[in-house]
Order: sequence, then C-alpha cells, then structure tokens
Amino acid sequence: MLRDDAFARTAAIVVLTACAVLSPARAFARATVSLDGGSIVFFSDTLSVIARDGATLRLADGTRARGDAAFIDLRTDRAVLAGHARVTRGGATTGADAIALELDGDRVDLLDASTGVTSTTRRLGAPAPAEFDAARFDFPDVDDRGAFIRSRHATITPHADVRFTPAAFPTSVGGLPVPSYLYTYATAAGFGASSLGGATFDQPYGLFGSPTSLTALHARWDDGPGPAIALQQQIVSGDAAYAAASIDQPLRGYSVRGLNAYRRLGTRYTAEADASSTIYGTLMHAALTAAFGNAGGRMDYTRTSGGASSYTASLRTPDEPLFGGITWRLTGSTGFDAQRGGLLFELPDAHDFATVWRNGLDLFLATPVVRVPLGATLATTLDAARTWYAFPHHFDTLTGTATASRTFSRRLSLFAGYQATWSADVYPGTQSLFYPAPIAPLLLPDGTPYYGYAAFTGARTYRAENAALQITPDINTSYRFSVVHTSDFPQFDGFGRPVWEVRGDIRFRPFPNIGLDVGRAYDFDWGGTRWQPRWSFAITP
Amino acid sequence: MNIAVLFAAATAASVFRIVPLACDGDRLVVAGAGVLRLADGVTCAQIVPGRAIAVQLDDGGRATPQRLPPDALPAAKIPRTAYVLAPAADRDADETQLVTTTIDVIVPARTPPSDDIYLSTERTSWSPAEVRMDRVDARRFRLALQLHRGARLAFRVTRGSYGTTERDASRMLPPAHVAAGEPDAHVTVVVAAWADID
Repeated sequence: MLRDDAFARTAAIVVLTACAVLSPARAFARATVSLDGGSIVFFSDTLSVIARDGATLRLADGTRARGDAAFIDLRTDRAVLAGHARVTRGGATTGADAIALELDGDRVDLLDASTGVTSTTRRLGAPAPAEFDAARFDFPDVDDRGAFIRSRHATITPHADVRFTPAAFPTSVGGLPVPSYLYTYATAAGFGASSLGGATFDQPYGLFGSPTSLTALHARWDDGPGPAIALQQQIVSGDAAYAAASIDQPLRGYSVRGLNAYRRLGTRYTAEADASSTIYGTLMHAALTAAFGNAGGRMDYTRTSGGASSYTASLRTPDEPLFGGITWRLTGSTGFDAQRGGLLFELPDAHDFATVWRNGLDLFLATPVVRVPLGATLATTLDAARTWYAFPHHFDTLTGTATASRTFSRRLSLFAGYQATWSADVYPGTQSLFYPAPIAPLLLPDGTPYYGYAAFTGARTYRAENAALQITPDINTSYRFSVVHTSDFPQFDGFGRPVWEVRGDIRFRPFPNIGLDVGRAYDFDWGGTRWQPRWSFAITP
Repeated sequence: MNIAVLFAAATAASVFRIVPLACDGDRLVVAGAGVLRLADGVTCAQIVPGRAIAVQLDDGGRATPQRLPPDALPAAKIPRTAYVLAPAADRDADETQLVTTTIDVIVPARTPPSDDIYLSTERTSWSPAEVRMDRVDARRFRLALQLHRGARLAFRVTRGSYGTTERDASRMLPPAHVAAGEPDAHVTVVVAAWADID
C-alpha cells in the first residue's frame, strides 16, 4: 500500500512539477503580441480587446504600431490602429489615418482619409493601391460598461490566451482587481478536462498558458472540507489527447492528488487513465473504449493501493427500435473482482476467493417523450440487470424512471418525476452468512436504535418522487423551486437518504458582464437536525 | 424625383451611431464603413478615434457630430452615396446589437433524470458548471443567451463536473459547439453519450 501510494504521489508531483516548469517556458517561447494603452477593455463574447487613450502594439518580429486607439480581434488575429496610426519595423516607418494588420500574417493595410487604401507588408516596402475592404478596418462599437475585464497591458498568445496586467472585473459597484489574469480561449477538448474532483464552487485562475498547456490555480469550496486551493497542469493536443495533473489542498482536511489522461486512437478507439491519491490510499483506473458503428464496447481496470482490483469488459448493442418509438439496448459484460487476502471475508476460507469472476447482462428500455393528457409530456425508462458470480451469488437490479413536464407558458413550467430501484443481493444457501441478523440494534448518528434494520437481508428499495417549478421571467433570470421525497429501505433517521429535501435555485445577472447562479437546499428532520442547509454557487461571465 | 431628393429623404433627421477610426481635416473615417466629409464649420476636436459617437447627415451627406441618442441608426444604414470614399462592399451587420441565441440540448435516455445540464464555455476556462440550462421536458434543455451580433461562443455540454462531459457516438471527446451571435440564432446539440455513462 505504501509503495503504491508513494509511487502515485511521486508520479503526480513529478508530472505536475515538470509541466509547471516546462509550460511557462513553452508559453514564453511562442510568438506573443503585447498591447499597451491608457485603458484596455476586454469583451469575452466577441473576444475583442480594445485599447484607448494611446495604444502601442508590439509584435514578435519587432514590428511596432501606435495609434490613438487599437482593436484586436482574437478570433481572427487581426488588429486595427485608429487615429494618427504609425507602424515601425527596424528603420522603416509609415503612417496613415488607420492601419490594419494581421497578427500572424504579413499584410499591412493603410487607410488614408484623402487618398484611400494602400497595402504593404511587415517589411514596410512601398505601398500599392488596394481595394477598400471595410471588414479589415472594422472597430467594434461597444459599451465599456459591459466589459468583462479592464486593464492597461495585454499579452496575447495567438489561438491560446491573453494575459491582462493588472486586471479588474468591473461591476456597477466597483471592480475586483487582481495583479494579473490569464484568459484562455483555446477550444481544444483537453482544456475542458480535469483531474480535480467535483466541488460546489470551482474558479480557475490561470498562471501560465500556451496553445497546448495551461497551469491554473483553482479556488474551490465544497460541503465538508470547505475552502480549498488546487493547482492543476493541463497538457493538450487538440481534441485528440490530454493529460492533467493536480494537487487539491483544502484548508482543513487532507490533500488529494489527481492524474487524468485521454488519447484518441484512430476513429474507433480511445484510451483513458486516471488516478487519485489521498492519505487513505491510491485509486488507479484505465479504460479502453471501442465503437463499431453505433454499437460499442469498453474495458475497465481499477486498482487500489489497498489490494483491491476489478476488471470489466463489456459490449453493447446500439439503441434499437422496439415499437411506438420505444428503444432497447442490451449490454453484456464479464470481468472479475479481486482483493488481496480474500474477497469474501465473511467466509472462513476467504483466502480461497481472492478473485471472483462475474458475468452480467443489462437490458435498458426507453420510451420517447410523448404527449399525455392535461397538456403534459412524459418519458419513461426501465433498466433490468443481473450479475452472476463464480460463486453462489447473483445481484439483480430493476430501475424505473418517469419524468413528466407541463409548460404553462413561456415563463412557467412544472416538472414531476418518479424514480425507483429495487435490488437484491442473493447468496443461495449462505444468505444469513452475508447478511446476518444484527445481535444488537443498529445505532443511528443521534444514538437512537434502528430496529427495522434487522429485516434487511440484502434486498434494497430506493424510491424518490420529485416536483419542480421553473420560472423564467426574462432571458437573464431563472428561478427553480424543487421538492424531493424519498421512501427507501433500509432508511431511518440519519441512515440512508434524507426523506425530504427542499431546494431553491436562482440564476440572474446583477451586472451586464457577470451572472450568478445561487442554490440553497435543505434536508429536513434528518440525522438529529431540524434542517441541514447546503449552498451551491457559480459565477458566469 | 432625382437622386439628390431621394438621398435627402433617406437621411433627413437620421442620426447614425458610428465608431470613428480617424478624423483629418474635413474627413471622418468610419469603422467598418467608408470616409465621410464633415459639415462646414465642424472640426475634429470632439472626435476620439475608437469611441462611438453619433453623426447627423445633412442633405449633402456631410456629417455633424451629435450627442449619442438611444435610437441612432447603425453605421451600416448610412447611404453609400454619403461616403466620399466608399468601401468595395457594403456591410449590413450592426455589431452593437445584442441578439438572442438559443441553445437546445437533447440528452440521451440514459441521463439520470434528476441531473442538471450545464454549458461549459471558453469564458470560464471551461468550468464544467458554468451556466445551468433550463429544463424543457425529460430530455430537452434550453438556454437563451444574449450575445453581441457577430460573437461566436464555443461551448460543450456537461452534467456539472469534468467527469460528466459529453462524448460523441464513438465515445470520443467532440470538438466544441459554436453558438453564433446572429438574430434568432438557434443551435441544437444532440448529446450522444456521457463520459461516465456507457
């Protein structure tokens, strides 16, 4: 265990350190563009950077351009210098009323209000008459109050990111200043990947970036551990591959180190690997997926530093039509579960069962969304699965869901749902060995005995009914109120899911450039507390 | 009716919102458009390149800067005949306009019915729970966004965490979808699978 844990920790730290060290070097090695201005505003939806009150643009090849104002379109890598514009390279210089140039190209267009448009190159040779292309001299008409970021200096890595120094996020009641902010606009899929676990709130803060990498700090908050700081390094190769390594350190609690990698193998296969390590041990997982038309398969292998491992290989059919729009899908699987020292520890000869193979079948049925009386719609699913083990043991589950919706107007909708799962963990002939009747009643977190637990012999029931009201008064505002009631077995005060949960969510835009999504949930009369509140929080540009 | 009368009818009492690129003598360069001539007595003193202003055109097509009214027409509406130096082609897009772009997401039947659906965009370095979508029915979610005309927003669909990002039919990471800032633009995304399901 210690050896695996130490290995995972060392691997994560080595990868993270190497990436963190190499990534800035790569970023700085790339051709960058810098823009200075008396003021700079950035608009995230149009990827527009606008400098006013005197603008200076510096390109990687030594070209300098000045103007009263400047606009850089990050989508097209195009810059426009407006008013008393001059461009200089080495000893050559030329001026015009406005100058348009490409950040990653050679062309330079000069617009003179009296004589029209001429064109030259970055070498600033003699300009030649050119067509007046209005699009090349576009300069967006923006309201600075809607800017996402205000700054005075911007450093741009084309197709990747822009760093603002300093940066302020303006609101109508002031701006939140930070010394520097890296905004990444690269769209490769790997930038959307992470080796960090889920969190109630996660706000990344880019440190270093390039078209193929990003080093970021994450300010996080989660129920339980509370606030945390995480460092993550991503290395990306387009949509085809990525690797991410991270260290998540809550202010109280233990750190979590993570690793996550993905690689597309041709047009049919993918390979994935992930690992996480805490003081309790290390969990490693690798997977291969394959697609054959709409059918597919996958192999998963999981191993822990505690000596547990599992392997599953599965094949699935496509979603096939049955009748009336209903579809079915069958998944078959085989694999094993293993535990060093014995898997079935309830048995006196547990060490003989260190590895237990299993086979499974899963049938999934889904109806389409259909219209039902009262102007509502309804969709249902049914999932039946059985797993057989190479030991007198099988595990059955049957899950049904139904979701109804009723739209009263464009602004008001009502939803209701029902989900139920019945499962049975069956050991023919040895049931009482694996689910023995408790000698003493189970004690709940508040100290009260749960006598009903004595009836639990491996069969579980999970039932949940939920209703939600959704109100969207305008495009920027959405309210949602929901109630969930569960009726499970085994379930008692503090054991299992809370019986009642009430939740409210609001998504709104208090400022033109900042939106908020705030949620508040309560579990009622559960585990000895009258109610247990939870928050969720997200900031939207 | 001659051309001058037509021109006067088109521009009378019309105020246009423009972004000046430069002002030199009696010439005013309009961003993304052409070069206007300033009216007699008007100087470049109050014109700041890159900062939007309003201009009113007289019968001769000469421009006089004005206070910016809320109902000013976009620069794209300036008659081509008003320009002393006109671009090779007209542009008709008003990039100041905030337009509504609607994104519909259809999720697979195996999606857990109680899960929320989110958009993850480049605006937050691909935060997986950036914007929660509104539910339409059991398998359709919708979000209307206000974008500047001409904007392009790259996005992916998640169930709120990095581990629940969408996958394509081959279980591969798909390229980002793009929502365009065009009037009444509508993007429908059919999620084939999730990273953590199937």
